[in-house]
Amino acid sequence: MSKLYERSANEINAGIRGGEFTAEEYIHQILERIDKVNPKVNAVICTDRKGALEKARLVDKKIREDEKIGPLAGIAVGIKDNICTRDLKTTCASKMLQEYIPPYDATVVRRLKDDDAIIIGKLNLDEFAMGSSTEFSSFGPTINPWNTDYVAGGSSGGSAASVAASECPVSLGSDTGGSIRCPASFCSVVGLKPTYGHVSRFGLIPYANSLEQIGPIGKTVSDVVMIMKTIAGADDKDQTVQVTYRTPDYTLSSNEKMRIGLVRELTEGAEPEISKQIYSAMDLFTNLDCKCEEVSMDYVEYALSSYYTIALAEASSNLSRYDNIRYGFNFAPDGYEWNAYFAKIRSNFGDEVKRRIIVGTYVLSSAYYGKYYLKAQKIRTMLKQELRSLFKKYDILIAPTMPILPFKFGEKIDDPIKMFMIDIDTVIANLAGVPAITVPAGFSNDLPIGLQMIAGEFQEQKLFNAALLFESKTNIDRNPEL
Amino acid sequence: MDSRETIKYLCSLSKLEITEEELVKYELQIEGIIKYLDKLDSITLSDIEPISQERNSYQLREDNAKSSRTDLLEYTINKEGRFIKGARIT
Amino acid sequence: MNQENKEYRSVKIGLEIHCQLTCLQSKLFCSCFCNYHGLEPNRNICPICCGHPGTLPLLNKAAVEAACMVSLALDCKVPDNITFYRKNYFYQDLPKNFQLTQYNAYGITSIGVDGRLDYGEKMSRIRRIQLEEDPGRLVYESGGVDFSSSYTLIDYNRAGISLVEIVTEPDFTDPKDVRIFLNKITSIIEHLGVCNTKRQGSVRCDANISTQGGKRVEIKNVGSFKEVEKALNYEIARQKTMSMHDIKVLAETRDWDDARKVTKQSRAKEEEQDYRYFPEPDLPTIALDEEYVSSIRMKMPELPYERKNRFTANYELSEHIAQVLIDNKELADFFESTVKIYSSPKEIANWMVTEILRYTEEDIMEPKINSSSISTQSSSSFAGLKIEAKHVAELAELIDKNIINRNTAKIILTQIIKTGEMPSQVLARTDVLKIEDKVIISDAVESVFKTENSAVRDAKNNPNVANFLLGKVMKITKGRADPKITLNLIKIKLDGLN
Repeated sequence: MSKLYERSANEINAGIRGGEFTAEEYIHQILERIDKVNPKVNAVICTDRKGALEKARLVDKKIREDEKIGPLAGIAVGIKDNICTRDLKTTCASKMLQEYIPPYDATVVRRLKDDDAIIIGKLNLDEFAMGSSTEFSSFGPTINPWNTDYVAGGSSGGSAASVAASECPVSLGSDTGGSIRCPASFCSVVGLKPTYGHVSRFGLIPYANSLEQIGPIGKTVSDVVMIMKTIAGADDKDQTVQVTYRTPDYTLSSNEKMRIGLVRELTEGAEPEISKQIYSAMDLFTNLDCKCEEVSMDYVEYALSSYYTIALAEASSNLSRYDNIRYGFNFAPDGYEWNAYFAKIRSNFGDEVKRRIIVGTYVLSSAYYGKYYLKAQKIRTMLKQELRSLFKKYDILIAPTMPILPFKFGEKIDDPIKMFMIDIDTVIANLAGVPAITVPAGFSNDLPIGLQMIAGEFQEQKLFNAALLFESKTNIDRNPEL
Repeated sequence: MDSRETIKYLCSLSKLEITEEELVKYELQIEGIIKYLDKLDSITLSDIEPISQERNSYQLREDNAKSSRTDLLEYTINKEGRFIKGARIT
Repeated sequence: MNQENKEYRSVKIGLEIHCQLTCLQSKLFCSCFCNYHGLEPNRNICPICCGHPGTLPLLNKAAVEAACMVSLALDCKVPDNITFYRKNYFYQDLPKNFQLTQYNAYGITSIGVDGRLDYGEKMSRIRRIQLEEDPGRLVYESGGVDFSSSYTLIDYNRAGISLVEIVTEPDFTDPKDVRIFLNKITSIIEHLGVCNTKRQGSVRCDANISTQGGKRVEIKNVGSFKEVEKALNYEIARQKTMSMHDIKVLAETRDWDDARKVTKQSRAKEEEQDYRYFPEPDLPTIALDEEYVSSIRMKMPELPYERKNRFTANYELSEHIAQVLIDNKELADFFESTVKIYSSPKEIANWMVTEILRYTEEDIMEPKINSSSISTQSSSSFAGLKIEAKHVAELAELIDKNIINRNTAKIILTQIIKTGEMPSQVLARTDVLKIEDKVIISDAVESVFKTENSAVRDAKNNPNVANFLLGKVMKITKGRADPKITLNLIKIKLDGLN
């Protein structure tokens, strides 16, 4: 059996169960694949060869001895390096955590392991998940597998690029303002940001706690659904999880005649090639007997400023704990006065992180709390209400995932506002806490375009229905030449 | 806003040490970001309640104690005996 | 000192009392143990309370209940929803470099507001009550070595322990009132059972004081409630001296130096800080409905003033005696257990207040707080004493039935405290029975009359001789002779001689 790395997660699982090949064989091929393509892509920053092979052998042993195996048995999964993996370095692509080894597994990691998935390694990201291009990583940028001059998107660049490059069939990323959907769109793969409170954040090293969720990335919608079933659900280690069921019950049907709204402001605001693609997606759905209309949203224009206010405020506080006292890297405090020590240690943050801490501190200061943070939270209320009433009339909303095509390295890193602006299509789902998925929709100049679908709270099934339908009727390339 | 002084103050509040170079580099960028966030001023929402999640008191954690399986001190680099070492206060 | 204070009319004192919820099993946001005393440093920590990346706070249900109880006991309103806020500042005892606490500036979110507590004729308003976490502990010297000029050592065992903070309005003008108030709060907290105030470090009190409308000075690091009064008196004097010399009082934090009995500039200089409060995103708002608050009210143990009323009404104790019992919950509990066994409330209460109280620790009414060393000091007043309710009950019964007199009972008590024997056992063992047998007493009287010849001859002129002779008889009968019968016999005999 060769080129097993090209198979989907579902196919791998079926193949191993059916005895077509062993998990160990498969993992060897995955490791070889990583060795071959990672130097070009820089998606994987830490490969856990030993752990992965050990687990593969364990899975094979269970199968040989007719023991019960988990639903994800044998599947190689990459984990974004801001998600804690016990005894495996977790760095957030930052010098601050360059030597950090977590004493515990994130809930999502434990669930993957319990279901017999194989953690293959940790994936590159913008430092502390702050960025939209994975150019702000202390491990160097991740490169778009479709064109090596272009960024892979961010902050989960490694998660999307590794899947596109077939280094693993599925991966976990995190999405605070588009960090799963942006790179998934730029790399022509499927990425889901679940409803806020659907997946446990225990073990996700936080950037902005009220906005983010961990979510799956894969080449197909059904692979994404497969992972979502394992990671989602009630967890007593996270008091912001809002569901009581442990495993969601998703089906892979795609017969629905859906009511679809196309968000005018977001679609018209995108580059022409992208708008065109979204409108033709609408046509496709119309031809499939779905009811499609254009809709308008009043509060979209405030979404970015609201998002960045809240995200930076929360980030500035979340990052306070990094003072090298309880964990960190080798730099003794002897002789230093504590203020000086803290400042010295914290100079290890990158530029983007420092800027965000400074602005976040500013907006939280008591003089400005009402003007920025409180106001931003009120915008969220308005957006949430606006979406709730829209979802009474429509099953899903569609829009571009990104307003622009993938861009070249260095194009936006010197202008923070320019970089912020590309999140315009994605932040709305984070602010309102609703689920959103991106599916490959086409190419322009050989650069990927993603179609975004948004649904109401905990309506992931509707997203899956629409995404599966779209996927089955289109045949967008997900395999770059490497 | 006196950017330089403000940024220096914010850095001391958040225990960040930045060089003169960084200060020069960040000044315009940060000013730009804050100016962009000022867009929030263009709308009045005085009667709106900010968003919040609610939970009932019976959905909280039960008061059971247990020992940690791992000795966290193994994950600390700077220590002396059973104490964690910090910098001097004065 | 008091007279000077009365001249100093514009003294305003407010208190911030921090009380550990020692009744709980676990910490406020994680499952580490609430009782960490005696443990080695950093043995009671986990990734949550040490602020490891990616960990989330898990709010303790029982902590909310206990804090709600304190709010109700201090007559506060409990809001419909409570929220936690982050108080952002950096310090090495703070694992996340922010403290999870409560904050009311943007809307009432803390567990209690607008309460009051009467004490004697006076009253203080309670501004708010909030739930928050304790920080860790910094150590500056160990084994006689002071390393504070090079580094600091940190122990996070205490980090994350549940605290209830009670903030009063600046309604106090006299440090003596502060002490009375603090004792009353202690009594309430003990009666609620939420905090063992006798345990080292479980209750701490900081005070804010301003004089003559000047700046507010915060006094921290005060070791006991008695010390609070001293510290306040010192600070009033200090500020008065400064104003006499036209020196402005600065708004600052000062530490109480227990050894030198002065306040001094705080070691940890906290600049005027912007704490950048915002609601903790990792914790949802907790809804506390009518039903919840009523259920807490019903679960509440009897409050001190309720118990005192019951003591005076049902047991017919005097106000004074009832108050002494109430002021020490353990004593009051002991009293009631004893009365359950043998119902002689007045007699037993007397014993509690006169004899038993004397045997307990010297400062039982003044909880020791905030000492820098961890000691294995026991938390009970009766530690080491073998006395129990059943002993006192039997003593009372023996007295009631005239088998022994009170003097004898006192002697028996000294034995019981050491050995834990029942009074009847001590009696049987040492033959301490009251002597009522007239024949035996007559013999004793005879022998005294023989030895005290001169006194007997004086009896004609001196009416006190009878008592003197009584004393002698008591002496040779080791206090066992019934005094009434003895005196009678002596008088008869003296009459007979004349």
